[in-house]
Parts: sequence; structure tokens; C-alpha cells
Amino acid sequence: MLTVLVISIIAGLLGALTGLGGGSIMIPVLVGFGVPVKYAIAASMVTIIATSSGSAASYVRERITHVKAAFYLEMFTIVGAIIGATITSYIAPRFLYFFFAAFLLTSFYGLSGHLRQEFPKRVKQDRFSKWLELGGSYYDQAAGRKVNYKMKNALLGGPGMMVAGLAAGMLGIGAGAFKVSIHELILKMPAKVSSTTSNFIIGITALAGASVYFASGLFFVTLAAPMAVGATVGALSGGRILNRLPNRTIRYLFLIIVTALIVQMLYEGLTSP
Amino acid sequence: MKRKFGEEDLDLVISYILILGVLASLALETIGIISYYSVNRTLTINLQPNSALSGAGFFSYAGSIIHGTLVGVWAPFEILGLGIILLMITPYMRVVASVVYFSLTKNTKYVFITLFVLTILTASLLVH
Repeated sequence: MLTVLVISIIAGLLGALTGLGGGSIMIPVLVGFGVPVKYAIAASMVTIIATSSGSAASYVRERITHVKAAFYLEMFTIVGAIIGATITSYIAPRFLYFFFAAFLLTSFYGLSGHLRQEFPKRVKQDRFSKWLELGGSYYDQAAGRKVNYKMKNALLGGPGMMVAGLAAGMLGIGAGAFKVSIHELILKMPAKVSSTTSNFIIGITALAGASVYFASGLFFVTLAAPMAVGATVGALSGGRILNRLPNRTIRYLFLIIVTALIVQMLYEGLTSP
Repeated sequence: MKRKFGEEDLDLVISYILILGVLASLALETIGIISYYSVNRTLTINLQPNSALSGAGFFSYAGSIIHGTLVGVWAPFEILGLGIILLMITPYMRVVASVVYFSLTKNTKYVFITLFVLTILTASLLVH
């Protein structure tokens, strides 16, 4: 348990620094230490509830998270997560390694930061998004002003989030970067609303996935307990030092870690029976 | 003058549910790990299939654990289990709170949306 605790603290810390989230790091490392991949995924799913809900709490109170948009999108992510977790419960572990490597590969896409718009301008809202009351305002501390915004393409965002939920449930991760891309590129959320709302959604999506793993008998408390405690401690400290590190360091860290994790997962996939 | 419910009330309630749930569950996990060590003198992770959490669905497992702690069974395994139950119930409770809020403010479409989320989660937790 001590080893798992230390791994989880480091994974939580690096996950917060790189924006990958704890799960994507924890699972490959635990597998490297001999934990069966399905057990690692199941325990990670519950761990994510702790790390995401802990930080979501303060963003909801500061009213940056859009709770209504979150509930609308959660209808899709939980269905995706349940399907994903069910698939994982049945398929051979070998496939999971390859899916994991493929998913990590897509996270490189997030490096092209030029796609992000801090505050989308002149969003023309469609009727469905308006009907869902997807708009609002929050006080942006960095900009020092109140930001008003409207979202669009709610109809398209739903299925996109189902895919995100599927990946999350299947691999035991938050898939936060993937969710944020959908929020910003399709729904046109401002950057801060997008990342905090994604964080909020991850908690429910993880619960949906965890419920399946619970029923499948893949869930072990002596593995999950040190992971939950460690990852939360790590994520909290990671959030604190994030602002002190230069962007370049973070990018190099990201490149090295993601490459190492992909190599590790491919190795496991190729050598597993 | 009687104040009407606003969205800021919902946000406040949700944030308290989340923070209290996570803190309480992490505290239980920490106590659980320490007592696991003090009873077993080892921190070996038990991955025997018979030690997996499961049983007859989430709610009945939760019921039996909570009943156990009420009658005074504070074995390490039960404390760890209780912490996990609490962690899983935390996001569930914020959905319940939202259903109540949207019903009180008579926002029909969001009553349906939150009820949909609640129904799927409940069904998935009942399956075993």
C-alpha cells in the first residue's frame, strides 16, 4: 500500500502539472508494478471522484462552473461511461493497453494551444442551446471583469461527450483534455468555464463507470484506498506549484511523460499473452 | 420578505456536498489504512478475488456496511469500505440536491434532465 500511496502522490502531482489528470499516469505505472490492468482501471475510476470533486467544489462556489450545461452533458457522458466500463469488464486486457496508448497519443493534440480562445466572441446561439439556458456570466479575476457568454451547438456537443464518456469509462480516466476540447471547439465555452465544468462532469462520469466495476467484482479497497488518498494529496500540491513553473518546463514534462507512458503501454500490450 | 431560491443557493449546496463528502471519505480511508496496519502488521494489497467489493449491488453493500458500523463493527476492511461508499455517494447526492432544487424552482426541463441522470445512475448502481 505504501508503494501505491507514493506512486499516487507523484501521479496526482504530475497529472495536475501536465493537465493529464492522475488516472492516465497512475494506471500505466501500477501496471508496471504488476497490478492487473483491469483492477488498476477500476480503482482509478473511484480515485477520480475524489480528485475531481475536491477541486470542483471551489469552482462551483465561485460560480465559474456552468451547472446546467454540466447536467445536460452528463446525460451523455454517463451512458458512454457505462458502455465503456462494460466493454472493459469483458474484453481481453491486451486490447486495453493498445486503446490506452492510442488515447494518450490523442493528448498530443492538446499541445497545439493556438486553438484555444480565452473568451469566444460573437457567438450566435442556436434555438436548442438557448432553450437549454446555456449562457451566463462569471467574474474573471485575471481579466478583472465580469465575462458574459453564450454557448452554441448543444445538439452536437452531446454525442461528442458520449465518446468522451466512453473513453473515460473504458480506461478508468477522467478524459478531461478531451472534454475541454469539445466544450471549447463545439460549445464555445470560455476557457475557464470549460475546464471547471469538465472537472465537475468528471465526478459523475467516474461514478457511472465505477458502478459497473463495482458490479463486475473488479474493485478492491486495499488498492483504491491508498490511491484515493495519494492522488488527492498529489493533485492539491500540484495545483499549488503549477503557477510557479514556466510553460516551457511544463511542455517538456508533458512530452517526456506522455511518450514514456505510450512506450510502456505498447510494451505491455505486445508482451501480454 | 421571503427570499426566492436562486441558482447561487444550488451552487453553494453542491459545493458543500462535494467538499464534505470528499474530506470525510479521505479521512476514513486514512484511518482505515492505519487500522489495517495495526491489525495485520502489514500493508500488503489484497487482490484475492474473494476480497473484491461487490455483493448484491451497491446499495445493499452500503446498507450492510452502514449497519455494521452502527452495531459497532469497526474492522479495517469495513472502514475502508465505508470510505469508498461515501466517496461514491458524494456525486450522487449532488444530483439528488439538483433534482430537488429544479423541482422547487419549477424548471421542468431541468427536472427531467437531472431525473434522467439520477435514474441512469441509480439503475447502474442497482445492477449486480
